[in-house]
Amino acid sequence: MAKKDTPIISNACGCLIDDIMQKPDREGDHLCSASESDMEFFVDPDPEKTSVDFYQRRLTDGLPIIPPTRERVDRFLNYSAHGPDDVLATLPPKMGQATPEKIAINSVMAGCRPGFQPVMEHVIQAISQDKFNLTGVNATTHPLSICTIVNGPLSKELGLNPGAGSLGPGNMGNATIGRSLRLCLINIAGAVPGIGDHATHGSPAKYSYCFTENEYDSPWDPFRVEMGCRKDASTVTVLAAEAPHNVNDHRSQKAEELLDTIVHTAATAGCNNSHVPGELLVIMSPEHAKTISREGWDKEDVKNYVHENSVLPASLGDRGGRKLDDEWIIGGNVRITRSPSDVLLIVSGGPGRHTMISHGFGNGSLSVTLPITLNDGSLSYSVEDFKKDN
Amino acid sequence: MRVKLTEKDVLNPLGKVNGKDISLNPLPYDFDRVSMVDNTKPGADIILKVLSESLGNRKLQWLHKPAGAPATDFQIQKAASADLAILALGDCGSCTSWVVLDAIRLEERGIPTISLCSDHFAPFARELAKSHGLSDLRILEVKHPIAGLSVEEVKEKASRIVPSFLYLLQLP
Repeated sequence: MAKKDTPIISNACGCLIDDIMQKPDREGDHLCSASESDMEFFVDPDPEKTSVDFYQRRLTDGLPIIPPTRERVDRFLNYSAHGPDDVLATLPPKMGQATPEKIAINSVMAGCRPGFQPVMEHVIQAISQDKFNLTGVNATTHPLSICTIVNGPLSKELGLNPGAGSLGPGNMGNATIGRSLRLCLINIAGAVPGIGDHATHGSPAKYSYCFTENEYDSPWDPFRVEMGCRKDASTVTVLAAEAPHNVNDHRSQKAEELLDTIVHTAATAGCNNSHVPGELLVIMSPEHAKTISREGWDKEDVKNYVHENSVLPASLGDRGGRKLDDEWIIGGNVRITRSPSDVLLIVSGGPGRHTMISHGFGNGSLSVTLPITLNDGSLSYSVEDFKKDN
Repeated sequence: MRVKLTEKDVLNPLGKVNGKDISLNPLPYDFDRVSMVDNTKPGADIILKVLSESLGNRKLQWLHKPAGAPATDFQIQKAASADLAILALGDCGSCTSWVVLDAIRLEERGIPTISLCSDHFAPFARELAKSHGLSDLRILEVKHPIAGLSVEEVKEKASRIVPSFLYLLQLP
């Protein structure tokens, strides 16, 4: 948007209108000669130029960014329940301070909408909890991303996609919330590949890994209810997780048959869980969930089965970085989860007979679920609750 | 009319860092008890064993701690019951992080430490220590890689750092 450069009074040039009008003027426009311009237009930075500049300074994930101008960032801060410089978390390894303004800058860069700000602030607060072990998650050679699950009414309000293609591509919320988190990790935490992030190969899931539950097509209670939250609450969950791996099962008609396909895909020697049992994310398609639930299986039954049967020989499991502790070896085998509660079961996706699984960081990181709340601790029912200029 | 086009400024996405400053505990002139803190990474036990053989008849306390996660409070408390703690091994991202951060936890309790990291991860270890307020944390480098090598190969690499280890401790 164009605007006049200067306030009229404080920066008046001193010329008198009569003098200007009477002065010989070859251009015939009778303009003041005291300033270099008569009107100044402030234009948005060229995204291509800013992207290259930021890329060369290692401030991006390699993809183009939206230039984080003051106006854009302020539109995000309008949805923050905090002051722009409040320190919400301090993120390792660099111990950078995550303030609403820094989160907003990175969210603008990622292509988020302003209303995503409350979600991003809660995501950052979630990853900073001790049990999440962001220190290890950021620095590890393991190809570990951070999976973000947005659950509840806010995910619908923000337009996240719970259906076909819920793991991407194609949806702005799913794509940019995950990307914003990655940019926050790079720029606030210092998880720059090769410097603060030592993943041997990295992972495509490090670009973005965010999804929402398809609770409308799920036969079971929503994930947030299972986590102890109210049904009308909205939550964010963060989980240190590998990129998802497909489980294709078109033929099983019985719950156990289908779950056997899942556990045999999950119980692999090379995952971290094989030598340090921990959480396992199971993203089940609605069709798979209905095949299982029609036999009367509830979520607890599924989680028990996956825990009991995701087993591999200890001799194969004990090849990871950390020595497999004897306490996990039962009859020469090791379970990849410590208990049924380590199985995070979420229905998501559209039609089709696939489930996706993501192994975690073993017991080196535990997932965190936070309800999205206002400053007074009350539940947020809409991102508009956060808006300052309401 | 003269029109000036000015590009709007962009804001800095980098998080501000507020440094803190922790004092490094001096290594003792004389000491009797040493905590050997093994994070169970392949070869960590072998390196610690090689170094321990240069410590004469001092009392050694062997401890295991998680590799990619913090030591428990009990493990830290136990490690801090000696005059000196030696931690191994930082040869990947998360294990290096928690060798360094657990060493800092011990330094904050007044226990001098020596951390063993592979030369590939030592620069990261130093940056991390600096970010956490202890830029001069003692880090002894062993040649990367350690994992995937035979016992003899690890022993050979460990024996190369014994002179530096003894120099740090001012032992003959």
